[in-house]
Amino acid sequence: MPASRKSRATGPPPPSTTLVLDNGADTIKAGFVTGGKADDAPRIIPNCLARDRHRKTYVGSELEKCRDFGEMAFRRPVEKGFIVNWEAQKEIWDREFFDENAPQKCDPSEARLVLAEQPNGLPALQTHCDQMVFEEFGFASYYRGIGPSFNAYRDIQAIFHTPRTPDTPVDVPAEVILLIDSGYSHTTVTPILQGRPLHPAIRRLDVGGKFMTNYLTRLLSVRHFDMRNETFIANEMKEAVCYVSLDFKGDLEKTWKGTRGERREDFVSGAGIAKDYVLPDSHTTFHGVVRDYDPGGASSRGRKAAVSTEDVLTLRNERFVVPELLFNPSDVGLSQPGLADLVMQSLSVLPIGLWPGLLANIVVVGGNARLENFIQRLQMELLERVPDECVVRVACPENPVISTWLGAANFARHEHVERLAVTKQEYEEYGAGWVARRFSAGLGVDT
Amino acid sequence: MNNFGVIEIASTTTKSTPGWAYVPDTAPALPAAVHSTSRKRAARNQPALTLSDLSAREETRIRKELEALDRDNPKDVNIPIPPRPGGGSRAQNKHTPNVRKILQSQKSFANHLDDYQAMLALAESNPAAAAALNAAQAKPSTPTTAVSKSASPAPTPASAGGASKRSAAAAKRAAAKEKQEQERKKAQHTPKPETESEKLGSTPPQQAPQRQQQEGDNDVEMSDATASTAQPPPTAPAAQISYPRVSAILPAYAKPPPAAHPGDADPLLVSRVPAFPSDDELRALMTAPPLSYLEARGAWGEEERRYPVRVFCAVCGYWGRVKCMKCGTRVCALDCLEAHREECVTRYGL
Ligand SMILES: [Zn+2]
Ligand SMILES: [Zn+2]
Repeated sequence: MPASRKSRATGPPPPSTTLVLDNGADTIKAGFVTGGKADDAPRIIPNCLARDRHRKTYVGSELEKCRDFGEMAFRRPVEKGFIVNWEAQKEIWDREFFDENAPQKCDPSEARLVLAEQPNGLPALQTHCDQMVFEEFGFASYYRGIGPSFNAYRDIQAIFHTPRTPDTPVDVPAEVILLIDSGYSHTTVTPILQGRPLHPAIRRLDVGGKFMTNYLTRLLSVRHFDMRNETFIANEMKEAVCYVSLDFKGDLEKTWKGTRGERREDFVSGAGIAKDYVLPDSHTTFHGVVRDYDPGGASSRGRKAAVSTEDVLTLRNERFVVPELLFNPSDVGLSQPGLADLVMQSLSVLPIGLWPGLLANIVVVGGNARLENFIQRLQMELLERVPDECVVRVACPENPVISTWLGAANFARHEHVERLAVTKQEYEEYGAGWVARRFSAGLGVDT
Repeated sequence: MNNFGVIEIASTTTKSTPGWAYVPDTAPALPAAVHSTSRKRAARNQPALTLSDLSAREETRIRKELEALDRDNPKDVNIPIPPRPGGGSRAQNKHTPNVRKILQSQKSFANHLDDYQAMLALAESNPAAAAALNAAQAKPSTPTTAVSKSASPAPTPASAGGASKRSAAAAKRAAAKEKQEQERKKAQHTPKPETESEKLGSTPPQQAPQRQQQEGDNDVEMSDATASTAQPPPTAPAAQISYPRVSAILPAYAKPPPAAHPGDADPLLVSRVPAFPSDDELRALMTAPPLSYLEARGAWGEEERRYPVRVFCAVCGYWGRVKCMKCGTRVCALDCLEAHREECVTRYGL
């Protein structure tokens, strides 16, 4: 749908440049929409201050220069998905966007900011954000909206590979989607009709990438080496080897060593599940490497790798019990429903007539969506829970990490942004409370 | 035979081995069973833990473990902002009072959440003060946003200075227009969105006043929205004017779907569902306000609470079929029990 640009009744025309930010807890996704044209992809900036073991501190994208990630410690401005520490956030934004030599230099006084936030934020933190945007950075125009809704501005049927003729119009925003955003801090379920989130049905599971990485770290520390100071390395390992099991009981059985003395056949062979992981030595190698499991290697001794300069871990059930937390958080004592139940809880507050449309249009975004079999498992579990005649379609866009940004960039070119964005003058005239209420009221309904 | 700290759990499918037992993996700690077995242990002259001791230890362990899983770093780290590359530094004296306060805040998310919950609790316990408090919290910046040009704290139409007349007039106009619209819609009744919406969406002269109306309306409507939770109808006039109009909120669903999606081979035929929600229902949903942070948190219902949770070996991750009686930790079998023993003794003593 072509963006129709409208001139405002009062004040100057909207800025022709929009800085689009998906300001995540782990990374910022940042790019521009200029004159109706968006960057192809956002820049991905670590949203942290990181300090290595030599006590050198890296801010944001400086982390690219770091080679040795051993014992890396992090300070993150975003906590639980929300910007909490503005001292750190401002430092990162300044260096990335506003400083003289910033890699994505932007003049806020002549730009609009479209900022994605997590659903169900605390009013005080939202107000802090709005105040910083206008009073400190001085953006000319601004919209803060929840990340899931921005995804509705993508070509959703293309993500589903729905067959269609070239002249079929693309619905933007999509009529109906159920958006699952599984990121660093948590996982949310958001039903969306025509770009409007159905707020009463938004649900959150407090399991995200961080939680899972920490769980892997704990398992490795109990079973292999003390990895507690090696979050970064454990996270790389998680991304390289973890998968969502489609047969949890079976996989668990295959990876059990057996009772005392016994070593079961599947355990010895690895049963196609075991993988060896070579840890970086921090001298010549700085990233871990996955290898096929070598039954003759570290296997039978279990605890320590063979005499070698390499530190090799054999990963077995660690590969799938970690992502399992998304589907069974009670496995670690967290009293929350798993993702499929969470979807059902979300649906349960909606009219049944909406269920088929939502269930047939489930889109999963966020870093955890890259876990192998994530969408298959979700679909499998949902099919067990919905009436037989319901179609369940679950899809993941090609790059789920930048999906929210791509949607927000489309939104920044859609006429909706003109209806929702607030100018600096309006902020100054009506105050932060008005801005917050306006953003939370959203688009309303068009009939 | 080392049977350190093992609790035998009664079960019909128990495969007995001296001193410990395999039990079905689905079994959670059944209070009765634990109790009786710990009495059994006591009879064998072992230091027995009461049920409450045991569950308290388990609870504490789980709580600590969950806290650890939630952390960004294994321990507290303090990473100060490093100096700018090239020695340059930004002028630090231009901050507004709001910004200075925000930048200096050392509050964590948990602190902010506590503040918010305390505010809600107070509002609930003192309904008389609730309205005032709510208003203050809904726009926590109002006392300090006075740095802006407008001295008016509340952005209601009446207090918005020059905007007030405009807003009031706009509201009236919009209300009238809304009435017209509704009547027209009633008359039309059937969905006929395309042509009309196109016409409206691309009529430039109408847009300027529309924008004003929208703003004015939002003012009026939003002050309502803070007071009552779900009040969808007032939103309609604000939004309807500048946006392509359709006669149903989800037009595609009102049409026969197969024709509407000729290329769509997927059997996504929503028309099969008889009870499609009414426009009123949809409108209410689409304009309902956000839930609070804790309201949105997925929680177990009564039903889920009754389901047994899966338990795993704390050492190797297989099913936790055996329970350490000292601390309640589960292990799979003797190998892992021995491995656990070391840690358990360190933590709780012999
Ligand atoms: Zn075990
Ligand atoms: Zn123990």
